[in-house]
Amino acid sequence: MNAMVEIKDFSIQLGSFKLKNINLNIFDNEIFAVLGKTGSGKTVLLESIAGFYRRFSGNVTIQGKSVIEIPLEKRKIGFVYQDFGLFPHMTVYDNICYGLKIQKMDKEKRKKKVAEMAEILSIEHILKQYPGTLSGGERQRTALARALVLNPKMLLMDEPFSALDPATKQSMYEQIKEIHKIFGCTILFVTHDFNEAQIMADRIGIMVNGELRGIRKSTDLFKKCQDEDINNFLCGNSRGEKDAI
Amino acid sequence: MKKRTHLFNLFEIISIITAAVVVVFTSVLILTIIVRGFPYLQEAFLSEEIQFSIKLSLYTASIATFICMFLGVPTAYALTRTSFPFKKLCQIIIELPLSMPYLVLGLSLLLIFSSDLGKALKELGFRVVFDKNGIILAQTVVNLPYVIRFIRTAFQEVDERLEFISGSLGASKWKRFTTITVPLSKNAIIATIILTWSRCLGEFGATLMLVGATRMKTETLTTSIYLNLATGDNGAAMASATIILIISFTSLFITNWLGRKNSKESRMKDVTLR
Ligand SMILES: Nc1ncnc2c1ncn2[C@@H]1O[C@H](COP(=O)(O)OP(=O)(O)OP(=O)(O)O)[C@@H](O)[C@H]1O
Ligand SMILES: [Mg+2]
Repeated sequence: MNAMVEIKDFSIQLGSFKLKNINLNIFDNEIFAVLGKTGSGKTVLLESIAGFYRRFSGNVTIQGKSVIEIPLEKRKIGFVYQDFGLFPHMTVYDNICYGLKIQKMDKEKRKKKVAEMAEILSIEHILKQYPGTLSGGERQRTALARALVLNPKMLLMDEPFSALDPATKQSMYEQIKEIHKIFGCTILFVTHDFNEAQIMADRIGIMVNGELRGIRKSTDLFKKCQDEDINNFLCGNSRGEKDAI
Repeated sequence: MKKRTHLFNLFEIISIITAAVVVVFTSVLILTIIVRGFPYLQEAFLSEEIQFSIKLSLYTASIATFICMFLGVPTAYALTRTSFPFKKLCQIIIELPLSMPYLVLGLSLLLIFSSDLGKALKELGFRVVFDKNGIILAQTVVNLPYVIRFIRTAFQEVDERLEFISGSLGASKWKRFTTITVPLSKNAIIATIILTWSRCLGEFGATLMLVGATRMKTETLTTSIYLNLATGDNGAAMASATIILIISFTSLFITNWLGRKNSKESRMKDVTLR
């Protein structure tokens, strides 16, 4: 299998936090989940893959090209932020439409695409609202729609389902898998939900204090390993974590 | 259960009183101008000289504001969104004139433009000293650091992650700037335009140094105030001041009205904080 993303000896220092020596290959069409305690560096990892930071050591390549050498607008990465990052001065419709407009797709086609996406994510009723007036789950789905409507070859999502109720979550899993099957994109997402990681992902990696450890098949998630930190994390206790007081 | 609803709390009362003091003080200031200037206002409006200076003031202030924005916006973008060598130093240099008396800035301009360079420019048809162009230049030089400061702050407040997202959705740097950065700092930009324009109308020190005060030639409204004061004609001076007040009032009123129309929708709009 070809590697879509190759991360080699990647380290980055942000204030007192350090992402340490990340090595990871994500394969074409793979779905990869990142688990880890809060503050362990999952968001920073995602941002690093997207080429958000300029000062780091090691490298990240996307389809063989160093990510920061590809102009941002040509990276074709869909990024769904943890806090959604909706454009506050645009309606939901205009948010979703944004990338299509940039591509100069004609108006009728745009309308059709947005309508399709809105139906899949059941947000047709809020298209005219501004992000400031939306509920958490509505914002999340808008952010998803905005990224998905462009059929990115790579989708990075930071806790994309956290604000949804169990039923909506289930249907979202189905939708994302469907989209993944149809458009064939590579997905990397962060979650706090073990179950979600197992349902969605092919492989799972666990962040511990800025290190990505215990990369494994999602079917082997709970297999005991040598790494005590990881075993503790998976058992849901924090014994042995160095920052536990 | 006891339920007490205070209509006001102490902090609110103090802030309202403070505001009242400021309003009263400012009102007295403004009223003095109007009361003294009003009797001469009609005469002033009819005088050819004042008509000339109104036109000159509006013309120079508008052009100077345009130039300030034209130079200020890209500069602010460069200072906040790009990296180049000695950026911090450049920023300090740009903002250093903020602490200079305008007379000194005007004097420097005079020295520059009465040098050989200035003479060469004059040969080419670009007159500065004792000319309308000089007024525009003086107003621009005095206000440019303010404009850059304000716009820079406005751009800094825009969440760069939104620009990053916009880029990841395919937008070029220019598109990111026009569809995200500018709309999100729109209010600050409009406020800066109005403020700059008002400050240009009121500029005097640098203008005086560079173009002098010649009736019907380099006579802006502020120059006219100066000339009338110099001849002891306080009433006429206050009439010109009243005209500046009227112009400022109109422009502030229009911007407030425009600002009201485009306030963003938020969940807080229906919330009363009590
Ligand atoms: N620009 C920065 N400067 C300083 N510290 C930073 C910066 N960005 C992130 N950090 C720190 O890095 C650590 C990891 O942050 P990150 O957002 O990746 O956590 P996370 O794993 O996504 O947590 P959560 O599950 O709560 O979202 C945090 O302690 C954070 O405070
Ligand atoms: Mg995070």
